[in-house]
Amino acid sequence: MKNFDYLEPKTVSEACKLLHRHGGAAKVFAGGAHLTILMKQGLLQPEALVNIKKIAALRGIAFDAKKGLTLGALVTHREIETSTLVQEKFPVLCAAEKEVANIRVRNMGTVGGNLASGEPLTDLAQIFIALDGKVKIGGPKRSRSIPVAELFVDFYTTSLAEDEILTHVVLPPLPPRSGIEYIRFSSSSVVDKPTAGVAVRVTLAPGKESCKTARIVLGCVGPTPVRARQAESLLGGKKITPELLAEAAGVASQECSPTSDLRGSEPYKRAIVRTLVKRAALKAYERALGH
Amino acid sequence: MSGAGASAKVMKKTISLRVNGVQRSLEVEPRTMLLDMVREQLGLTGAKLGCDMQVCGACTLLLDGKPVSACSVLAVDADGAAVQTIEGLGDKYGLHPLQEAFMEFGALQCGYCTSGFVLTAKALLDECPKPSDEQIRDYLAGNFCRCGCYQEIMQAIKAVSGKA
Repeated sequence: MKNFDYLEPKTVSEACKLLHRHGGAAKVFAGGAHLTILMKQGLLQPEALVNIKKIAALRGIAFDAKKGLTLGALVTHREIETSTLVQEKFPVLCAAEKEVANIRVRNMGTVGGNLASGEPLTDLAQIFIALDGKVKIGGPKRSRSIPVAELFVDFYTTSLAEDEILTHVVLPPLPPRSGIEYIRFSSSSVVDKPTAGVAVRVTLAPGKESCKTARIVLGCVGPTPVRARQAESLLGGKKITPELLAEAAGVASQECSPTSDLRGSEPYKRAIVRTLVKRAALKAYERALGH
Repeated sequence: MSGAGASAKVMKKTISLRVNGVQRSLEVEPRTMLLDMVREQLGLTGAKLGCDMQVCGACTLLLDGKPVSACSVLAVDADGAAVQTIEGLGDKYGLHPLQEAFMEFGALQCGYCTSGFVLTAKALLDECPKPSDEQIRDYLAGNFCRCGCYQEIMQAIKAVSGKA
């Protein structure tokens, strides 16, 4: 691996200024779970690493009844997995984290790094998007907040500027009469990256007779996680039945762009997506009913 | 812009950390991995390089008590931390109960993965003294034994759990 400067700012603005000064030749370093591999393989050769782990403001998990759950960028996968607060507010996240990579990666890898890497074969983004989550981004001059979905541009490419840092993930409280489920499927070992990962959120209308809003988010089957908007609109305003969910799942399986690779062929992955959407939607619906 | 220009003037960093309970101060390059530092600068060669991509678990060390892939942790990132290697597990009176149990149940053949398994099992038992079979399997799912001693490893860990 090529050598690099190792910089340790104490604040977000200091970190952003360092990134700005290096004009894209520096990389943000947090858990390093993703970055060190790319650097060892020579795919990334940054001039400097800006270690943000000394920035206390990026740590911690907090819940506010209005704002919802805030995850600092430095929160590790394992912290989410074992947090009693997350278990209480968004148990779907704890369940998903149990299946992320292995215990060592979960101990090092951070939620900020997971999103900012733009790695498509991952889990959390789908759930965050299904929850209408936002990311807060710090920059040298100002900070901003965008929907999680708008962070992702292409394979390993995000909308973060060279001198910006993802600082927090904010998940609004689940609306009343809502249920969410995430299912990931691995075609090889359980610790492999997912072949597909699907998050579905169902929010029912008052009276619970029909679906008010649905979010169907497909991950690992394209350059970025993607919402299956046609399938979502198919559910909107309708009474949920197994037949309707099967139809929506079929539509969703055509709203992604999987590639054939070692984890499965394109048709295989579409079939997996169809099955996962059907199962996740049914579970989300049951939860929304309060079962 | 390549890193080449930067590498000529990259300064070594002095880091201080506790290794097996002993405070150490070491000079490392920013690119030095924790595994290389521990093996080459400290001569603690129990942890092995396997896949070099955080999958196999042969390089497992405990960083502040938690299992990490030392092949992919920057040594500078361990500044201020406590590192536990297999060499520090026993004491002057003998081996750690997990090490004894691994021998008793024949939970190894070639031994390449063993230090990773034992350290990961120690972290598990520190967190959860009486894990269920499922908890043991989940926690150790990221450690690979290509000799296939998984049954014996389970037996060894179960024999120790609750006694520690």
